[in-house]
Amino acid sequence: MYDLIIVGGGPGGVAAGIYAARKKIKTALVTDSFGGQSLVSNDIQNWIGTKSISGFDLAQALEEHLRAQAGIDIMDGDLVTAVAKRDDGTFAVTTKGGKTVETKYILLASGSRRKRLGVPGEDQFDGKGVVFCTTCDAPLFGGKTVAVVGGGNSALEGVEDVLQYASKVYLIVRSEVLRGDPITQEKVKSDPRVEIMWNTVVEEIKGDAFVNGIKYKNIKTNEEKELPLDGVFVEIGLVPNSDFVKDLVTLNEIGHVVVDAKTQQSSCPGIWAAGDVSDVLYDQNNISVGDSIKAVLNVYDKIKKS
Amino acid sequence: MAKVIIYSTPTCVYCKMAKAFFAKNNVSYEEHDVASDLKAREDMVNKSHQLGVPVIDIDNNIVIGFDQRTIEGLLGLGKVAAPTTPAV
Repeated sequence: MYDLIIVGGGPGGVAAGIYAARKKIKTALVTDSFGGQSLVSNDIQNWIGTKSISGFDLAQALEEHLRAQAGIDIMDGDLVTAVAKRDDGTFAVTTKGGKTVETKYILLASGSRRKRLGVPGEDQFDGKGVVFCTTCDAPLFGGKTVAVVGGGNSALEGVEDVLQYASKVYLIVRSEVLRGDPITQEKVKSDPRVEIMWNTVVEEIKGDAFVNGIKYKNIKTNEEKELPLDGVFVEIGLVPNSDFVKDLVTLNEIGHVVVDAKTQQSSCPGIWAAGDVSDVLYDQNNISVGDSIKAVLNVYDKIKKS
Repeated sequence: MAKVIIYSTPTCVYCKMAKAFFAKNNVSYEEHDVASDLKAREDMVNKSHQLGVPVIDIDNNIVIGFDQRTIEGLLGLGKVAAPTTPAV
């Protein structure tokens, strides 16, 4: 029986792991990989204490710092798929790898994952023209015609990435405005190879072996049309990784775990949450770190009192 | 020793993770940059029917993405068993 299981290996989960180990809390950390969502960033410039670091280097530094702690069990390459609360108030945590571990307390630092369009063809053509890692796969679309779906920063940066290779980029935006940094907006709007399609939603992704087009709809006019394309880059935001506790804790309408801001406790005694999976106002690495540490210190207080 | 080929792009962090994993486990591999090597890109697409990296070929078994568990299985790497829960 563990005292604490930390779910997640981003900056928050790792910070929690380090503090828990140093407090000699009997802890296991479960994560598929380290670094969290920043892993795919080429250049992080706001990680405090470091002027510039790539997501990959940050992930390695986090993993190294965690592995330097004695007395924490690291279950990496695995994912939590279910949490069950037992009659005595302890928890059974089940992983994708088929392991079940018991714990008194849980800290959810499981972050967010990319939102999917949820339209026909999206799953079928995932990796066959439908792209969820723009920085990874943009170089494979040299000279091609592609669409980037979304209107926020990640979509705008996606357009910039893709423009290094593609000959034509449609930016498909559901509303009439772009969100995201004004500087990037200007760059994207002023490039003659970019065509912005306002008030537009993708209804279907079509293809044979690979994507060859989409069906889309203008939500103002209700007009439906088809557009030939070689690739669809999905950059429509994030969903919190809270599915495996949805029956135990209170979630807000988006799926964030509702927490007490002073202690990070959820509505379920014994479960804490911090970082992007929680209903924190600002999704930031540095904030996730602080909130996760706050949670661990609160767990420690609880252990001392029991 | 298994023959390992990785198809990658320079900007793909999951490719870097896979290569770091191979290095850590002393697995030698052949790398093809499919951003610049069009012949390799064609090979990758033919083998995997995928247009996304990384694609990893381990003795003709094709792995899509950095799927650490599958790769460990194909390479026969003994992963340190997860800690069993001792009685408190």
